[in-house]
Amino acid sequence: MERWQGQQGEPKLSSPYIENSIIESAVGLVLVKTGEVANAMTVSFFSEVAHHPTALWVSIAKASYTHSLLDQTSEFSLVVLNQNQKQIALRCGTASGRDQDKCSHLELYQNHAGFLFLENALASTSCRVQQRLDLGDHTLFVGEILESELESRTSHLRQLLISDLKN
Amino acid sequence: MRWPGRTIWDTRIQGVCGILTVAGDEGIEIFGSASFAQVSLDPPRVIVNPNRTYGFEPALRQTGRFALNVLPANSRKQMIQWMRIRRREPQKEKQLGLKMVEDHHQIPFVADSLRTLFCEVESTQDSGDRKLYIARVIESRVNRALEGQLPLLFSQVTDDSTHPRLRRLFRTTLLLSGALDGSKKLKQKFRPAQPANIAKTTYDEAGATEPEIETILKPGITDRSRYLTPPAAPAILTRSIGVCVVGTGWGQTHTQYLRMASPRVRLFVCGRNQAKTERIAKISGAEGCFFDLEQAVNDERVNAVTLALPHDVHRSAVELAASAGKHALVEKPIATDLADADAMIAAAKRAGTILMVAEDMHFRPAVREAVQMISSGAIGEPLYFMAHSAGVRRPSGWAADKDRLGGGVLMDIGVHYVRALRLLMGEPDSVFASRSMQINTKMSGEDSAQLVFSSRFGWEGHMLLSWSSQRGHLPDIVIAGERGTIYLWPGARYFDFYPVKPRFLTQMISYVRPYSLQTRLMKPGLQRVRLHPSDRDHTGYLGEMQEFVAAVSEDRAPVTPPEDGRRDLEIITRCYEALALGRPVEIDSIR
Repeated sequence: MERWQGQQGEPKLSSPYIENSIIESAVGLVLVKTGEVANAMTVSFFSEVAHHPTALWVSIAKASYTHSLLDQTSEFSLVVLNQNQKQIALRCGTASGRDQDKCSHLELYQNHAGFLFLENALASTSCRVQQRLDLGDHTLFVGEILESELESRTSHLRQLLISDLKN
Repeated sequence: MRWPGRTIWDTRIQGVCGILTVAGDEGIEIFGSASFAQVSLDPPRVIVNPNRTYGFEPALRQTGRFALNVLPANSRKQMIQWMRIRRREPQKEKQLGLKMVEDHHQIPFVADSLRTLFCEVESTQDSGDRKLYIARVIESRVNRALEGQLPLLFSQVTDDSTHPRLRRLFRTTLLLSGALDGSKKLKQKFRPAQPANIAKTTYDEAGATEPEIETILKPGITDRSRYLTPPAAPAILTRSIGVCVVGTGWGQTHTQYLRMASPRVRLFVCGRNQAKTERIAKISGAEGCFFDLEQAVNDERVNAVTLALPHDVHRSAVELAASAGKHALVEKPIATDLADADAMIAAAKRAGTILMVAEDMHFRPAVREAVQMISSGAIGEPLYFMAHSAGVRRPSGWAADKDRLGGGVLMDIGVHYVRALRLLMGEPDSVFASRSMQINTKMSGEDSAQLVFSSRFGWEGHMLLSWSSQRGHLPDIVIAGERGTIYLWPGARYFDFYPVKPRFLTQMISYVRPYSLQTRLMKPGLQRVRLHPSDRDHTGYLGEMQEFVAAVSEDRAPVTPPEDGRRDLEIITRCYEALALGRPVEIDSIR
């Protein structure tokens, strides 16, 4: 996503991902950790791959910092945000991890296998990259689903949608 | 509180619900999905991953063009219905009541969707039991009438209760008060759950290996064995017509149901026995009676005849009626052999008259409801059809003569259940027949027969027909499927459904310990759902009469043409061949 344009108060977003999204979709975060470096990036290009083997896909822009981190590691977490986590999506979707540590603003925790998960998200899932597909300006990462955690206190909420970010 | 996810659905990556549509070789194919998303901006592309065991996937593989229809939030019922509908049901879009349209893209799409993306497949990616289709978006079209509405989310359809808001409120209250977490913890303490294993649990619940997919696809991706559909509602007579009932045996039943069918029916009776004919005419309030068929069909007041005659005279009676320009309803079986059936159909066609075979099974309300239940997926894949018609009967006269009857119990009763089989399951592809010893030596035809039908689409049918034993308190038709069983009772105003999924009381009793107490409390009836069709008549006799007189008055073809009766006879003929040969016999596919 492109840089966040707003400076204070409600973040104002100017992102082709929101303006040019042609289909409504859920919004999440991709969390990647390589050594001491961690990054969070807002995504809406993700979905399920198959039930056997159990896998999901996420599409990441090649120019993004997350992409460069995923070139170094084959592990990532996908966090599905709830409808009340709009600010997290905006903050992680409008600034680059190259310029600032976005994870420092997030309530993250590590699961027993060392994957970064987000507190109060609908669900956080750990994945291992199985396949990478070149799609021009994006790369499709197919990840084997390893483990997942659900937060019962927010399970009554719906997913954050791309249209929520437009409003 | 954090809980481990146990299936892929716990990851909540399934977001927005949509219907994928494609033009297949044999009509439109649709697939409900909540696992699609945009994958790139320029050019805009999407990824879909249809299930390979559904008809949509091969159609997409063939055409490479599809529409992705995002459903609005008010489509919840349709999406739930999609999830329940059996996988191999043809024309799913009709079952779901989707309004399908097509434009210059020549891709069928759902008219009432929030947004429709018209897509062209660029590449595919094999990924286990699904295949990823990466497609370029040709056009993205917003439905202005629904602008501002939220899309339907997968989480809204996973709860299929009839009062979702109430249930959600209740669940939210439990959640926020901590009661739900508390009870979960308590349950964990007493019965610790196995460690979460997403891959295994997801595979167990919905995944498939390659050999499994091969096995699943063996009986065909879509069950196209069913050609017949029972009428949705009884027909209504719109103008007065004269109908003459020919035959004073079963013909008396014709007079009763014609009287019930409509006051607009002007009734006549025809029979050789003068006194009996006059008596029936008087009792039934007929306007007149005849003692000769020729006289009846040539009377100007008579528009149509219903023939309740010995089977061997069906042909001559129908030909006589047709030659006089009169419509005819002939009792089942249409004739004693296929040559006669063909001659009758040809005679009616030449004369431009209506010929209909009186098959009450086609109009039996419980059969109609059962067909609807099967189509909507209530029993999942229908696997077994079982018919049991037995009752000690001593036929006499022409009914005891196999040449005049056309056979024995197999011909006389078998045709009914063959029609039921065709309505409920579809067209059989082969039959094996056997029989027990003859008890009734006063009839020249067989007094019992047992038939096993098979379909290349994977279902089996069994029929037990007997005039020398009693059925007892058993249903006459049972249809067993993977998710439930339907019991049809002859002469009853109800039918029963036994779902596989435990009902509330059954579920509660399953927790009762000790087992001896549970066994005492658990009654089969607790699982029974008794259903009551609202029709006036539960036999189907009234419906068949209503349909015939309505077809005559409207000068239209009846909902069941005579070819249906011919097909029943063709199948029965194959049953006799199988009985004679003692081995399975192929049944030709329907023309």
